[in-house]
Amino acid sequence: MTDGKTTVMLVDDEELIRAGLRAIINAEPDLTVVGEAGDGAEVLPLVVKLRPDVVLMDVRMPAVDGIQASKHILETVTEPPKILVVTTFENDDYVYDALRAGASGFLLKRTRPEDIVRAIRMVVSGESLLFPSAIRALAAAHGGGRAKGLSHTGLTDREAEVLRLMATGLSNVEISERLFVSVQTVKTHVGNVLAKLGARDRTQAVILAYETGFVTPG
Amino acid sequence: MTAVLDVVLGPVVRPSTYRRWVFLILGGAVLVPFMLIVGMVLPSLMPAAFQDQTLLVVALSLVLVVGVMVLMSLIPAVRVIEGTAALELLGDGVPEQATRVSLSWTSRARFAGWFVIHLLVGGVLSVLTLTVPPAVVLTFFAPFLGQVDILGLAIGTPRGWAGVWVPLAGLAALLVLVHLVVGAAVLATRAAPFLLGPTAAERLAELEQRTEQLAERNRLARELHDSVGHALSVVTIQASAAGRVLDSDPEFARTALSAIEESARAALADLDHVLGLLREGQSAARPQWTLANLPNLLEQTRIAGVTVESTVEGSLDGVPPAVSREAYRIVQEGLTNVLRHAGKVPVELRLSAADDRLELDLSNPIHEHGTKPRAGGGHGLSGMRDRVRVLRGQMTAGPDQGRWLVQVRIPLRTVRE
Repeated sequence: MTDGKTTVMLVDDEELIRAGLRAIINAEPDLTVVGEAGDGAEVLPLVVKLRPDVVLMDVRMPAVDGIQASKHILETVTEPPKILVVTTFENDDYVYDALRAGASGFLLKRTRPEDIVRAIRMVVSGESLLFPSAIRALAAAHGGGRAKGLSHTGLTDREAEVLRLMATGLSNVEISERLFVSVQTVKTHVGNVLAKLGARDRTQAVILAYETGFVTPG
Repeated sequence: MTAVLDVVLGPVVRPSTYRRWVFLILGGAVLVPFMLIVGMVLPSLMPAAFQDQTLLVVALSLVLVVGVMVLMSLIPAVRVIEGTAALELLGDGVPEQATRVSLSWTSRARFAGWFVIHLLVGGVLSVLTLTVPPAVVLTFFAPFLGQVDILGLAIGTPRGWAGVWVPLAGLAALLVLVHLVVGAAVLATRAAPFLLGPTAAERLAELEQRTEQLAERNRLARELHDSVGHALSVVTIQASAAGRVLDSDPEFARTALSAIEESARAALADLDHVLGLLREGQSAARPQWTLANLPNLLEQTRIAGVTVESTVEGSLDGVPPAVSREAYRIVQEGLTNVLRHAGKVPVELRLSAADDRLELDLSNPIHEHGTKPRAGGGHGLSGMRDRVRVLRGQMTAGPDQGRWLVQVRIPLRTVRE
């Protein structure tokens, strides 16, 4: 964080996209762009040096694509930044690969600017899932086949219920209202769910839930 | 019991029986002129021969008639009409291919067999259809008259109750006729895939064509994705940003506007190109160019403003057609790429055909100003890569001594096998 601002790094091979995103993000009082890279190959040293909170990562890039770059970051950096994958098309196969590689969410390039900045804030707070319906559709198209359930993870009934609600895209506040418990309790449950599933964030937990057949799309 | 009844009487009430019957009778109808020639014209032309050596003459005229039928079956329209009739009247089991013109002699020969058999069997069934039902009607009067007239032949039958079996026998004969028709139709339907369907070669050709179309569609999708999708993303994000900082940073807004203009213009040009390809794709009979058409391609490129200095080593005639077609496309895409990314610059093309491989080098000077080479060197490249991969070849693209060089190597032996 710089002056309490959320720091963002942009990775895209197209200078014009970076310039646009930079202007949009820097126009927000609580967000600031601290670095840019034109290829996945340049990302890792920059992340280590600048320690951004969020990386906006283009998927298709000349030398190292966004999926590889995300993997590198998440494997090598301790306390890695959240990664938001930026893509032109929703039904891009790469989107799902990126999510499985550990990205916290994805953003379409056609997203409205106010939604782009909201997505950045949301991913930092980790309190609700980005584009639950799109993730459900992606999981439906790619998931399944490994329907072994999650019984081995030792989720309590309450935690299982919280995971189900997370998968529908409810935020912590909404889950607390649904279950008549405090937000703090929900946060504890969510934390336990992530720990038991070995997931780094909500998105990973939900993808796992779909892939193991714990929740079914539709 | 009901099962037996269904087998015996089922065909009588099924509409498909009568559709199939019509098909068989059509064969008989087409046969009529042939029979007239054999039965009336020939005997009157050479009555003596018919008197003396009836068997020989009949055999000869049969051969003659079948020969004419075979010739008739070679008329493409006959195949289309016959195939359509089979498809519509016989129904399931008749391949779609039946309504299309034969492309090979194997398929023509098979169709000739189908046509001749249809006419002959149809002829027999037509005769039966014309004679059996009236005779059956007459059997109803047999118990009263004590005789049946079949084809002018009076056959005595018992009168009264003792003769009741005669009309029953008539009905049985009618039933047999129905089953005969159904049986013939079933046999025809079974034989249809072989006699009317695509031959192995045609099936292969069709498959190849479909693969080609799929590849083409994927290529177009990728092209739209890469060019128009990319440009519209830039437009969207730049416009969003410009709107946000209009007051605080008018200079950025101004730059953004011109970036938007440029991107949109490039997108339109790309769209023009892709739509052109789509329209082109609609005409199914698009000619398949090969390396033999290279001079035309180079001439067109010259007209578009790109001078191509080409050298050809070895003979391109020996290159297998599939490779030749793809190589032509690769050159075409390469030249298009140059025009799109580098503009009107002189291009060097070298083609070398040896026994075991085809080499293709395409190079152009890298220009200092303007856009950098895009992801993987631009997008026609992924299309070219796909083509090269299919042919188990290798391709490299990149800067080489101040020029942008695309090198393609395609093995020839393995493709020939």
